[in-house]
Amino acid sequence: MAADPDPEHASDLLVMRGIGKRFAGVTALSDVSLTARGGEVLALMGENGAGKSTLMKILGGVQPPDGGEIRIDGQAVSFDGVGDAKRCGIILIHQELMLAPNLDIAANVFLGAEGKRSWLAPLPRGEAYERTAKLLARVGLDCPPSTLVGSLSVGQRQMVEIARALSHSARIIVMDEPTAALSADESKRLFAIIRQLRAEGVAIIYISHRMEEVMELSDRIVVLRDGRNAGELPRAEATTDKIVALMVGRDLSGHYFPARPDPPPAGRETLLEVNDLLVPGAPAGITFNVRRGEILGFAGLVGAGRTELAQAIFGVTPARAGSMTLDGKAFAPRRPRDAINQGVYLAPEDRKRHGLVLKMSVAQNTSLPDIGHYNRWGWLDRRTERRMAQAEVARMATKTPTLETPVGSLSGGNQQKVVLGKWLAMRPRLLILDEPTRGIDVGARAEIYRHIAALADQGIAILMISSDLEEVMGLSDRVAVMRERRLVGILERAALSAERLGAMMTAAVKAAA
Amino acid sequence: MKRELGMLGALVVICLVLFLSNADFLGQSNAINTLRQISMLGIFSIGSGFVIITGGIDLSVGSLVGLTGVIIAKISSQATGGGGHSLLLGVTVALAVALLIGLVQGLLITKLDLQPFIVTLAGMLLIRGVAQTIVQGGTLSLGTSPILKLANGGLFMVGGDPLVPWPLVIFLGVIAISTYVLHYTVLGRYIFAIGGNREAAAYSGINVRRVETTTYVVSAGLAGVAGVCYAAYIGQMSQQVGVAYELYAIAAVVLGGCSLRGGEGTVLGIVIGSTMMRVIDNGINMFQLRYTDAEGIRRLWRLNPNWTFVIVGAVILIAVVLDQVVHMVQAAHRIRAGAPAAGPPPEPKAS
Repeated sequence: MAADPDPEHASDLLVMRGIGKRFAGVTALSDVSLTARGGEVLALMGENGAGKSTLMKILGGVQPPDGGEIRIDGQAVSFDGVGDAKRCGIILIHQELMLAPNLDIAANVFLGAEGKRSWLAPLPRGEAYERTAKLLARVGLDCPPSTLVGSLSVGQRQMVEIARALSHSARIIVMDEPTAALSADESKRLFAIIRQLRAEGVAIIYISHRMEEVMELSDRIVVLRDGRNAGELPRAEATTDKIVALMVGRDLSGHYFPARPDPPPAGRETLLEVNDLLVPGAPAGITFNVRRGEILGFAGLVGAGRTELAQAIFGVTPARAGSMTLDGKAFAPRRPRDAINQGVYLAPEDRKRHGLVLKMSVAQNTSLPDIGHYNRWGWLDRRTERRMAQAEVARMATKTPTLETPVGSLSGGNQQKVVLGKWLAMRPRLLILDEPTRGIDVGARAEIYRHIAALADQGIAILMISSDLEEVMGLSDRVAVMRERRLVGILERAALSAERLGAMMTAAVKAAA
Repeated sequence: MKRELGMLGALVVICLVLFLSNADFLGQSNAINTLRQISMLGIFSIGSGFVIITGGIDLSVGSLVGLTGVIIAKISSQATGGGGHSLLLGVTVALAVALLIGLVQGLLITKLDLQPFIVTLAGMLLIRGVAQTIVQGGTLSLGTSPILKLANGGLFMVGGDPLVPWPLVIFLGVIAISTYVLHYTVLGRYIFAIGGNREAAAYSGINVRRVETTTYVVSAGLAGVAGVCYAAYIGQMSQQVGVAYELYAIAAVVLGGCSLRGGEGTVLGIVIGSTMMRVIDNGINMFQLRYTDAEGIRRLWRLNPNWTFVIVGAVILIAVVLDQVVHMVQAAHRIRAGAPAAGPPPEPKAS
């Protein structure tokens, strides 16, 4: 950490001052300022909708600001398009990876870098492959440059994005939640690369919701709230509570996770029993049970097989062998409808693709899984539909302008509430939540946690898959840990510790083999 | 390349079967005529391919083929109804109009963010209507215009037939140029990148709108070139020329391995697809089986030409079903093999 003694911004590589931006009458940014020095990691934090992405899009030349100035090395600049920003050494790595799956790694790394070349000029092939190979070695991706990007894992694609940023000899690199889809090993490698870039004098603007990463990596933390600067903390003074307080504008500590009954509801009867269930692609069967009113957390790395297990229980991809009982009766769903009929519901990981029809309204989404219930002589009973939707919106305290509002225009937290609401309308017995708070703000998270706990208190059994250790530990009565598509152990709440979970999730606890 | 090889194999087998059933299939006049047909279809199919690889679609191709010929006839024909001007003027105006229409459609799609299907559907109807108005619902003869030599003439004349008809020469030129552009240049890379991930292309600093507009201009331009050839081949223009050709082009492009989702395809594939379409079309006329009936009279069994569309439709379906099955089997293998990165690249690649 190189503390800069100069109070004036002499060494500031980037100065953004008084940046404003409005979209269709809604103020996204107002008078936001930000400075970044070469050789520092600047964490940019804030709830969703706080304006982080908009600010970074302006920096990356994706959108022009309505007002304010951007200076690089003290020189005022204005960008007309992504290309201009790139020429100034500013590279954006988006959360949704911007790669063409039908092209190979080298083509993606140098896509757009053809720059001044004429359209009809031949592609520089050999040279591009050689340079890509060197860049891949630097980011530690062990694939030939001719590998098709579509055949890479998400983590590997992230490395390709970083290799691409390196190819531009970038001076400012913006990373938007880069570890969202990375395994622990991949994250470590990424952090090593970030530190190396910092040592080389690159300014890194790091957007993340994960406190421990921000604490580990950053030199300075800038927080935005409602499109304005909420505050700035040097790393030495930052604590999780302080950052969260800046982000949400109030103190959240203490009641972030709702209390769970203590001792856990062990005495209750078992709802779902899973016996040696062989999930497609898994090396061995999985056995566990979950009781009524219990929250069973599922910890593990991305790709540990938790989503596949959830899909087997929900009947999306039926298990190959093994058996399940629900309330003592055999339960073998061949398709989601079978599970739904038994009161088993899944709130999927990818809300926008599998959980909701974004263009349809809040009311229509809520009634969708049980649409037959609203059938009156072939007509859709809109009155009942509205009444049920209204009840769920009220129960979940979903913030939506009207019931007719398309779900896609709600915030992530409110979208998740609609997903939960549509299943609650059908009186679930078992609810499977796959990454229930992914992409949801800190403030809205606390609310979702309260809802989940309240559901369990009503006697609903809950399987909660989460990659957020804090969340799994804070909310679960027991935690099942998965690694490489196996269930490696189940911990009681009393036995939980981050170290122990982490060790079980990675291969740190070596098996006898 | 695997997919192209498969299609090529199927094509060879079909040709062999046709030749064995009827030696005339490879006879001079049928072979040369089929080559001419393949060339004319191939020219505008490649243009459609440019659009389809970016993930777009161009439905106005067939109408443009018709309009080009009608304009040439109207301006240059010495026969009744024609303007009697020079052929050069007619062809130039016709091609210029085609390019202009492509540019307008491209700009409407990219600048106003309209759906290509709708814009080119409107274009298809509008252009057809204009052509119909020019011929006033009837026909315009090209008379004895020298343009007819474009279709009848060629290199290496043997008897009255050229071994290499001019449309084939043009087709080979189009193949060479488009292969270079699509697979070896910056523009080609951009076209594939847009088809693969539009947003990624835009965020990479590629001028997506300009590239897309260009593909519509290329499509319209090649439709114009094909239109000139068809005019020469048919000799008299009516409103019917080129009807449904855009669908033949799409069929040829899909048969050749392009995905309508964009990002996939090769010029070689489109050439094979066009050839397949025309060989099947021709094969339905040529295929015959010799047999001796109950009275001992030797007879010939032929396909009913009314089956043409049934067979063409079935072939397209079989091709996409086979392709999908191969993809699914490969995907299943990858899952069984474990990590998604472990397997070889799953899809045929254009390089």
